[in-house]
Amino acid sequence: MRPAWLVVLLKELRDALRDRRTALMVLVASILTGPVTLILVAQFVSSLEEKASTLKVRMVGQEFAPALVNFLKRSDVEIEAAPPDYEARVKEGRLDAVIVVPRAFEERYLAGDDAKVEIVYDDSRTDSGPAIRQAERLLRAFNRETGMLRMMARGVSPDLTEPVKVQHVNTATPRQKGAVLLFLISMFAILSPLLGGMTIAIDSTAGERERGSLEPLLANPVPIRQVVLGKWLAAWAFASCVAILTLGGFVMAASLYAQKRLASLMAFGAPEFFQFVAIVVPFAAMTSAIQMLICTYGRSYREAQTYVSYLATVVSFVPLVVMFSGLKDAFWQLAVPVLGQQMVLSRVVRGDPFTFTDWAVPSAVALAVAAAGVALVTRLLHEERIVFGRG
Amino acid sequence: MIEARDLAKRFEGVDAVRDVSFVAPDGAITGLLGPNGAGKTTTLRMISTLVVPTQGCARVDGLDGKADPLAVRARIGMLSDARGLYGRLTARENIAYYGALRGLEPAQVDAAINRLAEMLDMGALMSRRTDGFSQGERMKVAIARTLVHDPPNVMLDEPSNGLDVMTTRNLREVIKRLREAGKCVLFSSHVMQEVSALCDNIVIVARGAVVASGSAPELLAASGCTNLEDAFVRLTGAEDAA
Repeated sequence: MRPAWLVVLLKELRDALRDRRTALMVLVASILTGPVTLILVAQFVSSLEEKASTLKVRMVGQEFAPALVNFLKRSDVEIEAAPPDYEARVKEGRLDAVIVVPRAFEERYLAGDDAKVEIVYDDSRTDSGPAIRQAERLLRAFNRETGMLRMMARGVSPDLTEPVKVQHVNTATPRQKGAVLLFLISMFAILSPLLGGMTIAIDSTAGERERGSLEPLLANPVPIRQVVLGKWLAAWAFASCVAILTLGGFVMAASLYAQKRLASLMAFGAPEFFQFVAIVVPFAAMTSAIQMLICTYGRSYREAQTYVSYLATVVSFVPLVVMFSGLKDAFWQLAVPVLGQQMVLSRVVRGDPFTFTDWAVPSAVALAVAAAGVALVTRLLHEERIVFGRG
Repeated sequence: MIEARDLAKRFEGVDAVRDVSFVAPDGAITGLLGPNGAGKTTTLRMISTLVVPTQGCARVDGLDGKADPLAVRARIGMLSDARGLYGRLTARENIAYYGALRGLEPAQVDAAINRLAEMLDMGALMSRRTDGFSQGERMKVAIARTLVHDPPNVMLDEPSNGLDVMTTRNLREVIKRLREAGKCVLFSSHVMQEVSALCDNIVIVARGAVVASGSAPELLAASGCTNLEDAFVRLTGAEDAA
């Protein structure tokens, strides 16, 4: 004889697999959108890099600054004359940065007075950032060269103006730079179990009541906790499968970039995949149990759906809060649901090491919350007002 | 055999059932007759252990529902007021689900389904998904689901609600066959004709309490009326209300 929880589990899985709505939602909402978004973001990032890597400046009034033009040409910079309506074009975002040389430049430059140039840009457009920085860098280099030459001409060592020599040592590995991009994957990793467990959680609680099948089901000679256990296991299994499929989609999307310059930014392969799965599967146990708990209060499928979408909104806020509040990693965060998962997942994408405790604490918390949720649903279904009182 | 003794249920401050006692013997059809809101459904739910009585007790084959609810449920087949099916599952899968929950082995489930398909004349329905079923077809699946474990006690809550004439006639045949098989059949209804046509014993319930019980002739004698309809009206006190 099969235990009752297994009977319930198998029935719920069969029922859910036959639901076209579920299949469509799983396909569109999680398996497709994730990787497609990743590819779009990657395209954007690579176009930024391209902009910065070709040395090209746009100038107005280059005829007034032969020395500057000479310097730029020596530095292999391509100079393009900007059109007269450059200011409007910058505003519209069709030009990134323009160096404007005033008529009086050469005269003041030769006289050793402060010779001004302008850089015209619109820094509200994030994609023009690299071009702005490039123009600044070139002008600074020109300044330094000129200053050094003038000092040497007066017999002064150029080192005097530069008592400290700054050399950049950037500790960020290329992966860590890509972590911003991979932040997206951890966001999907956290949301996909919510999406995946939703249908079963709703259908097996509020759906049963709406359909009028809850009362006959509970009239069977089976302890209610076994029924709840079976339903929760079904929701958990579904949530985990959807999460795993979603992450698999990301692995595929990232592999498209394996041969390109972005490869280092898109390091999401088998090791990261399995680490993600190890974190997300216990997390899915918790989300499914909480979804079931709130759906048990729903009088109808629709009402339960509303409750569940509130939950998804709250959960999706957490990664954003972490991103913008500048919260630093701390041990207590591991014990906070969602926050803990978010923290460990971001370590994985940054390629930072994480310990067994880093994995075990959030997972144990998730499983404990799941157990409490299942116990609460069981208790609610013992209550007459929940089973009968809300028709 | 089903026995109700001094059953009472207070539900959120309202007395749904005040005082219900009766005995429904094996091999007989007992009808729980009463107007809407008389407490018939709550009484059946207390017997099936879904609702805990505030007072009194219900016994099924001598087992106390409070002490051992699962054993009581195992000895009952209850067709409740709510009889929703799983639309994406076939009729057979719907019935088999309940068979498995009641501890039947797959072979026993198959045998039960074959027996019920013949009894309810629903062989052609078995492998279809139930979401396109008519009321009558749904009813057949719900009854088959109730009877899959061949329970000695069968309770039906307003079984003919929403059914057409032909389906109601078939239902009556099914209920009679259950009696022939020696089962204790308890069903509730607010339709007097239905109860009088079928029942060996009638228990009349009004405002949460039993007002009279016995066979149809006994009830006529008790009320001093010549036909059952008048007897029903007089006994339930509907006359005073009107």
